[in-house]
Amino acid sequence: MRNILIIAKHEILRFSTRFRGKSRFAVIIIALAALSIFFLISTGGSVLSKGFYAVGITPGGPKISDQRFSVLELQHADGLAMLNNKAIDIYVDNDRAFYREDQKSQYAAGALKQYLAKKELVRISNEYDIDRAFPLRVEINYLKSATNNSTVASASLSEIIGGANTASTTEPDSGDITAVPLAPTNATDAAVKLQLADLGDESKLHQFKAEFASNKEIVIPSLMNPPIPLAQVLLAFFYVVPIFFIIIFFTSSFIEEKLNRRLSILLSAPIRPAEIIVGKMLPYFVYSVIAVIVITIFFQGNIPLALAIFLPVILFIFGVYLGVALFYRTFKDQTFFSMSAVTLVTVFLVFPAMFSGINDLSYISPLSLAVQMYRGEPFGLKEYLFSTGPMYLVFILSMVVGIRVFNEEFLSNFKPLYQKLSEAIYLALDKRHITASIFIFTLLLIPAVVMFQLSAIIFAFNLPMPSALWVLLVVAVIVEEIAKSTGVAVLIKNRFLKSWKAALALALVSAVAFFLGEKLLLYFSLSVISESVFTAALYNTNLLWMPLAIHVVATTAVCLITYRLGARYYLFAILMGSAIHLTYNISVIGMRP
Amino acid sequence: MKAFFSIVSHELKSVRKEKTIMFAILIQLFIASFSSILLVGLMAFYDPDSIGQNTNIDLRVGVIGDNQNRFTALLRQRNLHVRAFTDSDEAERAFKAGSIDTIVFIPDIKNNILEMKLVLPEMDSRATIVLMVLRGPLEQYENYLRKQLGVQVRYGDMGGKPYTTYEFLYTLIIPVLMFFPAFVAGSMVIDSVSEEIQNKTLATLLSAPVSLNLILGAKISASIIISMLQCFLWALLLQFNGFAIQNPVLVLAFSMIIATTISLTAALISMLFRDRERSQFIYSIVVVIAVGVSFFLDPSPFGMIARLATGDHYLNAGHVMLYVIPLIILGAIFPVLSKKVLPKVV
Repeated sequence: MRNILIIAKHEILRFSTRFRGKSRFAVIIIALAALSIFFLISTGGSVLSKGFYAVGITPGGPKISDQRFSVLELQHADGLAMLNNKAIDIYVDNDRAFYREDQKSQYAAGALKQYLAKKELVRISNEYDIDRAFPLRVEINYLKSATNNSTVASASLSEIIGGANTASTTEPDSGDITAVPLAPTNATDAAVKLQLADLGDESKLHQFKAEFASNKEIVIPSLMNPPIPLAQVLLAFFYVVPIFFIIIFFTSSFIEEKLNRRLSILLSAPIRPAEIIVGKMLPYFVYSVIAVIVITIFFQGNIPLALAIFLPVILFIFGVYLGVALFYRTFKDQTFFSMSAVTLVTVFLVFPAMFSGINDLSYISPLSLAVQMYRGEPFGLKEYLFSTGPMYLVFILSMVVGIRVFNEEFLSNFKPLYQKLSEAIYLALDKRHITASIFIFTLLLIPAVVMFQLSAIIFAFNLPMPSALWVLLVVAVIVEEIAKSTGVAVLIKNRFLKSWKAALALALVSAVAFFLGEKLLLYFSLSVISESVFTAALYNTNLLWMPLAIHVVATTAVCLITYRLGARYYLFAILMGSAIHLTYNISVIGMRP
Repeated sequence: MKAFFSIVSHELKSVRKEKTIMFAILIQLFIASFSSILLVGLMAFYDPDSIGQNTNIDLRVGVIGDNQNRFTALLRQRNLHVRAFTDSDEAERAFKAGSIDTIVFIPDIKNNILEMKLVLPEMDSRATIVLMVLRGPLEQYENYLRKQLGVQVRYGDMGGKPYTTYEFLYTLIIPVLMFFPAFVAGSMVIDSVSEEIQNKTLATLLSAPVSLNLILGAKISASIIISMLQCFLWALLLQFNGFAIQNPVLVLAFSMIIATTISLTAALISMLFRDRERSQFIYSIVVVIAVGVSFFLDPSPFGMIARLATGDHYLNAGHVMLYVIPLIILGAIFPVLSKKVLPKVV
């Protein structure tokens, strides 16, 4: 503990000498400027598409104050002539619009139509009574359907539509739902007024709701807002940005030690690697926590809840970047590792959160929890564990590997990446308890596998449907086979295993570990996520013994082929194992080529 | 000049050797992929029409009440399956059996107001999709009801195409794809320069008969070449996918101007702050500021790429050339500034 504090103190000292005197001043100025500009931009509206469409309008035509349109006032003949020259994309003559057949003109018409339609709503809501302007109101009701396994008791249909039995019967022959439930008019009027208030206010981002429409909510078709929690996602992302800046110093701390050859001195001192890593991490971790608290205070959030959500996120990012720090070989390496890490982490955290409230799959990102927190929505412990569990596991995995590979020889060699990786795995495995460590290693890889497979789902969206499913199946199987066999393959490569029987036994252990982990995860996720085609394809359920058997068969095949032919043929072995696994999966799903 | 090219080719080789460029391209591919999920997913919400056109959703709607209503006709117009029910229990059974996706209950109009009820599957992402698909017909029906009451809504039948995909692609994705390589280029210049400084190899290089500015120039050129290669590949890839970039020469020239400006700035930062850590930090903040400030320009660099790529009538080479002016100034003071920091470096 004392050692950790000593290293942490040293790290703080190093950090503060980076920015001393003039450069500290410069940094503060620059950071402030960046912040204020960010603020200006965020309140400035759609700056990206400024002047994107050229619109011609008759004098006295509708006023257009959307930045996307650059507007010219033109007489009818001039307008049409310019439209033909492609000098404008669309010409609006009072109530009529003229546009060309080409794409740009068509899109301009679509965009202008939406804009004008919105203005029309403002106009009619000002000119007419609320019940003439908005004569259609739709009450949303939810009912348990066949395909989901929700346990929430919901009302029956006749209860929903026949709520007011006292209302007069208007259609005698329509069975027992003749009652027309007419809630007092002012009830739905209030809903209309509330939504109209949002319409007029252009400056703020959309008001967000928990779901697109909640139960019993009154919806006005023309006033429906898209259910994207953009503002809350941005807000949640605000938390992540400072961590990215802080982390630069954490990773570069390692490279400096390397360059100054101080690492060897540090390693020869009676300090354990874990103490060095934790000591270096500690100050930056504290800075990140402070940042989270400050941001939460600024946005008037709930501090304990924000910490509960973002602590795992911070740990996750530190875990990922510890990997970056340990694996890079040169400066350029580090830049690209860091860039990939930033992109992947951002994408992984932000994009799922965009769908919070729409699809339960969004819970794979803890930012979804933050979005819900800022919407004043509760979430359960199950959701919390589902989204933060992988974060903690990634951190633990990264720490375990980091501590074990933390020696000078590994840190300062320049071998190719895959070799460094296999070396790291070899070092990470505890050779005295090899069975247990293979078991745990495979178990810990599962979150990484799941994250990879989920990203694969997203990639697959690019492809048309049947082939997307095929690609997904193949990728999922290959990733699983790699995860199950790397541990054993690395042992084979380093000639740790003396007989094929040993390889077989460990393959068995690894396959069982993977199977158990997968089922555990499945149990967890099914209670959070409602099933979709893709998840069903990934984790086919019901049969318990067959999946275990196929995991064992495929993994032992990979390991034995690798043992027989040598580690150089690992790729070939993976392909063989995947082929076996894939054949099984296809026969289970019943897909025919 | 020979020394210049040998340094350039050395830099390019070192990038190739470390497969870093593969990383960069992979990242960009990732961004592009994610944008397509955005197109399918997010954009549909902003654009109720597009969900019907772009996706082939087979939706079965159960209708209770006045099923000869105009609303059911609108549903049928959109190729949705409409099934009429007279009995709510029957409809509920069909819903629970999964043979219909949603139930619409249409009562009579009271006091000019129609209070419809919509039943959606509970706890299901399908509920959102159902609502998105029904939104179009519902809006049309709303306008129909308004018309009955003498409220005329203009511009409703203007036509046109759902624009969100188009706008998103040209105003965000294409500019990001064209500028991202430039940001990476700047970062690479910093790594390359600060590595030489921190490893004390710059002094060795300078003892050879090459000047500091030659070395820096070569490093900058190498990173520009790499970034232009990426831009070119992106343009090509987009073309293959059916997204034509108009004015390709101007678009690429403009990306090159930006890449050069950024690389020069990055080189200055790395000379000024010397160690990689601080340089990268300052560089990333400067890029953030520059991107922010650029939005105040008209057209901003992002807008410029977007409008050039869509073949804007009012933008031409002259507008692109405006951006060369700061570049020339920067290029002119660069050798002076770099010489100034040189004695401190070595």
